[in-house]
Amino acid sequence: MAVKKRYGFVIDVSRCIDCRACLVACRVENNVPLGYSRIWVKDLGVQGTYPDLQHGFVPHNCMHCQHPPCVEVCPSGATWKDPAHGLVLVDTAACIGCRQCILACPYDARFTNPETHVVDKCNGCIQRVEIGLQPACVATCIGGSRLFGDFNDPASDVSVALRGARSLQRLDFTQGEIDTQPNIFYINGDVQDKSIAPHAPQYTAAESFWRKFAIPAVLTGIGAAAIGQAAAFTKQLLDGEKEFEE
Amino acid sequence: MSEEYIPLVEQKRLRAKEIKKHNLANILTHWFNVAMWALLLPTGIAIMASPRLGLVPPLWSEAFRNVLGGTANLVRFHYTIGLLWMSVLTFNILVGFRRYFLPFAARGMLLDGDDIEWMKIKPLKMLGLAKDKTLPPQEAYNAGQKLYSYLVVLGSAVIGASGATLAFGKYVLPTDWRWIIQWARPIHFSAVGAVVAGLFIHVYMGAVFPEEKEAFFSMFTGKVSGWYARRHHAKWYWRVAAEEAAWEEGVLAEGRERAAQVTAGD
Amino acid sequence: MTDRNLAVSRRSFLKLSGASMGALAAGALLPAPVAEAARRAGLLDADGDGYLPTMCEMCVWRCGVRAKVRNGRVVKLEGNPDHPHSRGRLCARGQSGLATTYDPDRVLKPLIRVGPRGGGVFREATWDEALDLTASKMLEIKEKYGSEAMVFSSTHNLSQVQFENLLYGFGSPNYGTQRSLCFNAMVTAFLMTYGVEEPSRNYDEVQFILLTGRNLLEAISTSESAELMEAVARGAKLVVLDPRFTKTAAKATEWIPIRPGTDSALLLAMINIIVAERLADCEFVKRYVVGCDELPQEMSRYTPHWAESKTGVPAATITRLAHEYAAAGRHALAHPGWRTSNFINSFQTERAIATLNALSGNVLTPGGCLAADSPEASGVPLGKPPQPAYPRVTALRLDGVPWQYPLVSLKLGIFQNIRDAILSGQPYQAHGWFVSRQNPVQAIPERAKTLEAIGKMDFIAVVDVLMNDTSWFADVVLPEASYLERYDPVNVVDGKVFLRQPVIEPQGDSRSALMIYKDLGERLGLADYFQYADEEDYLRQQLAPLGVDLEQLKITGRYDPGLVPSDEIVFNTPSGKIEVYSATLANAGYSAWPTWDEPQAPAPGEFYLLTGKVGQHTQMATQNNKLLHEVEDPPRLWLHPSAAGERGVQTDDLVRVTSPIGSVQVRVLVTEAIRPDCVYLTPGYGHLSKGLRTAYAHGVCDSDLHVTYTDPISGGQALSQTFVTVEKA
Repeated sequence: MAVKKRYGFVIDVSRCIDCRACLVACRVENNVPLGYSRIWVKDLGVQGTYPDLQHGFVPHNCMHCQHPPCVEVCPSGATWKDPAHGLVLVDTAACIGCRQCILACPYDARFTNPETHVVDKCNGCIQRVEIGLQPACVATCIGGSRLFGDFNDPASDVSVALRGARSLQRLDFTQGEIDTQPNIFYINGDVQDKSIAPHAPQYTAAESFWRKFAIPAVLTGIGAAAIGQAAAFTKQLLDGEKEFEE
Repeated sequence: MSEEYIPLVEQKRLRAKEIKKHNLANILTHWFNVAMWALLLPTGIAIMASPRLGLVPPLWSEAFRNVLGGTANLVRFHYTIGLLWMSVLTFNILVGFRRYFLPFAARGMLLDGDDIEWMKIKPLKMLGLAKDKTLPPQEAYNAGQKLYSYLVVLGSAVIGASGATLAFGKYVLPTDWRWIIQWARPIHFSAVGAVVAGLFIHVYMGAVFPEEKEAFFSMFTGKVSGWYARRHHAKWYWRVAAEEAAWEEGVLAEGRERAAQVTAGD
Repeated sequence: MTDRNLAVSRRSFLKLSGASMGALAAGALLPAPVAEAARRAGLLDADGDGYLPTMCEMCVWRCGVRAKVRNGRVVKLEGNPDHPHSRGRLCARGQSGLATTYDPDRVLKPLIRVGPRGGGVFREATWDEALDLTASKMLEIKEKYGSEAMVFSSTHNLSQVQFENLLYGFGSPNYGTQRSLCFNAMVTAFLMTYGVEEPSRNYDEVQFILLTGRNLLEAISTSESAELMEAVARGAKLVVLDPRFTKTAAKATEWIPIRPGTDSALLLAMINIIVAERLADCEFVKRYVVGCDELPQEMSRYTPHWAESKTGVPAATITRLAHEYAAAGRHALAHPGWRTSNFINSFQTERAIATLNALSGNVLTPGGCLAADSPEASGVPLGKPPQPAYPRVTALRLDGVPWQYPLVSLKLGIFQNIRDAILSGQPYQAHGWFVSRQNPVQAIPERAKTLEAIGKMDFIAVVDVLMNDTSWFADVVLPEASYLERYDPVNVVDGKVFLRQPVIEPQGDSRSALMIYKDLGERLGLADYFQYADEEDYLRQQLAPLGVDLEQLKITGRYDPGLVPSDEIVFNTPSGKIEVYSATLANAGYSAWPTWDEPQAPAPGEFYLLTGKVGQHTQMATQNNKLLHEVEDPPRLWLHPSAAGERGVQTDDLVRVTSPIGSVQVRVLVTEAIRPDCVYLTPGYGHLSKGLRTAYAHGVCDSDLHVTYTDPISGGQALSQTFVTVEKA
């Protein structure tokens, strides 16, 4: 039996030159409206004092987490982590635009697309990957920083990169029962900068109300009704059927 | 159920007599609702596939997605049926609103003193208590049914409005106002849930409980026996009987008048 | 014909303007030749979808591109994996190319000026009318004042050969290119030293890279930038000399914030140490270098201690760098640089760089570290249409080449001198200017002077894709089809032939330069210099000696004639060797050796005004591109915190920057990433043309500040020699 794919990214932080070719490529490939973006290059800023300076850049997009908080809160099942390859995808036709997933993402990777009115985010360029191409950002990366592939395949670019990495970090977010386990691995650079640190998922009042109150209440109500009727039915059976009332 | 003593001959007469309870519109509307709910409820449940809740077995959602061709089609199907349901009901109510719906609502939905009394005594009786008390006579629909009608009418309105918000809110609401869609979901779900809870009772009462067997068939034929009417909806029975008697009296009076005229003409 | 008053307004992304929509709609009824041809070739399927190979023109690197076409529109651009300059990747500008092709500010019909020059009011005209007018004006000038009164200028591009046909056929000697604003120093130095204009670089085995400026990770040349990153990731040591902490410096093993204008001091000191301590590749040097015996003596004056006093770099560092460079032997590379228009002494800097390379013997590294064959040399036998000899030109060139500048090659020229000659009227007055694919208004230092020069012209015609700043001041604008819509002559890279072909129908009435030049040439009586029926005919004539079918080339986009690169090491110098000692220079009265020329320095309270490149734009050409506008950093003046503190300014505050010739108001970026005695102004902004609705009045133009300086040896500009004061606005 074939092992399922686990698609993800490796970012060699030491090789990003902030040329932003990836940003343009993604926008064109995925019709992202101006003013919004599916991916980013985070600028860590010039650090240090002249002349001892560093300036790092961290490419960033949807983490395609192993445990995506966004998928959990979708009311319509429009977003899911695909069991075949692990990318977190959105069926925009099924999205009702409630934005709960946008708020639940610790990485702010999602946004409301003003043209489609529904959520938009990095989809791993699955439309390209399916036909044997690399995601648009990876394909065009000048510095060779962005890599994509199947972590379950030891010969993939990402697996090879991980093996040769000098250092390895992930922007994991853990809190309580949340542990995102992102599928972007940052190598050869330090990305533990608070400017790009993930934050706790925000669960809206409506979603919390739904989960903590509405569902238990409704289930209780239906349950009570069902039990009540079941009891009545049982009594009816025990009493025997009466064709005519006395 | 009234507990008055009725002699056997009267019982037989009553059982043989048929009284019209539901007209064709009522019947069609009822079964239309049933059909719509039969489509909306399973698809609605299939949409609620959030893994965080673990409410709905994935198999259920997957089955519907497979049949309809994907999540998007499932959602589209659900709200299209919802729109159909809402528009037909709205049309029904608006057509003949003053002539039919208002009187019907006045009679069949408003609670009077007997209804309140009934609501106090019936639950006790169901638990086997208050054997000494008698239930007050009820109209065409008893208090319990009236309460249920509130639930259904209000619930349907809420379901329709929240459903429309869920389906189309994304086209009209700016980003800052999307919380309205977020709240529409628990509201939609709660309204559905309340009606479903009521449905358990309604279906049991209507289709399973033997005493209401006539009620069930009346939803097809439109008619109940006079016996059933007198036992379960006495106020209505006597009003109908009074109307019949009045009508008979009217016919007789007309005849007497005619005879008098003929005699006077001699 | 409608008046077209170009008011400033915003347009949404990828929507065509009304005129072009109309043109497109009309065009949709006509057969679509490009699509048909591509379908026949099997590149587009029945729905009109597919990939077409062509070449980018968002900068001069000209990466190979695979254009994804759907329903007659370009929807995505990918790097062509088969092209050595792209290797499957495109930079931000390459990826954004379709936003230029679909820019609502495209000029899609020939325009004739109505109203005052620079007023922006044009009327649309037919090609016939526009070309007739242009030709008649040019001939009028020729008759009254002589052919030389007509200036022709174009930034080098693939149709250059036919542009030059116009120029030389018309009989004017006045040829302006961008070269003197860019790389005269580098080309002249390497021509004299190595005999090649620009030696090719190869990073496969490099271990030590010395970059003098050459901000490769921002002045992106796709494949070379990628190769540099690859080398650094592999462990090669990268040393960057730059007064600014650029993104290239950020990736360097060592950043040397050297005082501007003093690179040659450091390099000469390195040379001194290398030859004094006998660290050079003696075998190579003896065999291939002229002047190796006297070199140690010549260089002995350039001690590390001396260099420290000039550069601000510690002597110990300089010594160490020399040792490290030498230790890498043939795997060391002193990058020749590219835009080297910094200081008058940049020519000497380049001579020093050439010498450093010569000492390492890196030419011998297989594949080059610095190969003696220039990337432009082909050896590929391309054909060309027959044409008669050019008329003899006796008039002097306005740019002073060679009569004032004997060492500047005719091909390079001195563009800024043409502008100055127009103003001075010396040695004679120019009266007309024909510009193609160039923006002299923005590019030449002292923009006010360039505008004044334009004011003196009787006639200006510009071939352009957008209503750029020079087009804005033109009398006639001839719309060229964008690079995605046209053929150009083939390009040879690494001995292979690459094709640029249209991937969509040209929008509106736009045409290729090949046809514009031909149609204009015919009206100028120069039909014999344009003996091709159309672009495809031209290409077939080019390909004829190779025996390649154009239809086949359209499918693959490339042809490999199978040339075997020669192992022979050849230096096209008079001596046939690397002329560290240059008799040519000596004969012209200059130092035969790479030497130190003390640069000007700012007075107290003044700053060096630095210029450079950003990865998201190509000089001044792309600021209107909406996709690039989206990803650019806002244009700023970089200021060190010490200077900012003195003036009480913070990031985004306004300051006034004043140079000897101009003054601008601009917002600052306070940053540690620059020497305290320097400021840097993001180049390419401050467009004047209201026809560039995204770029108009966005940022400021550094040509409003730059003083015109010309190196007497190479004719190159000295853009960093302008010193400015900065005050809070």
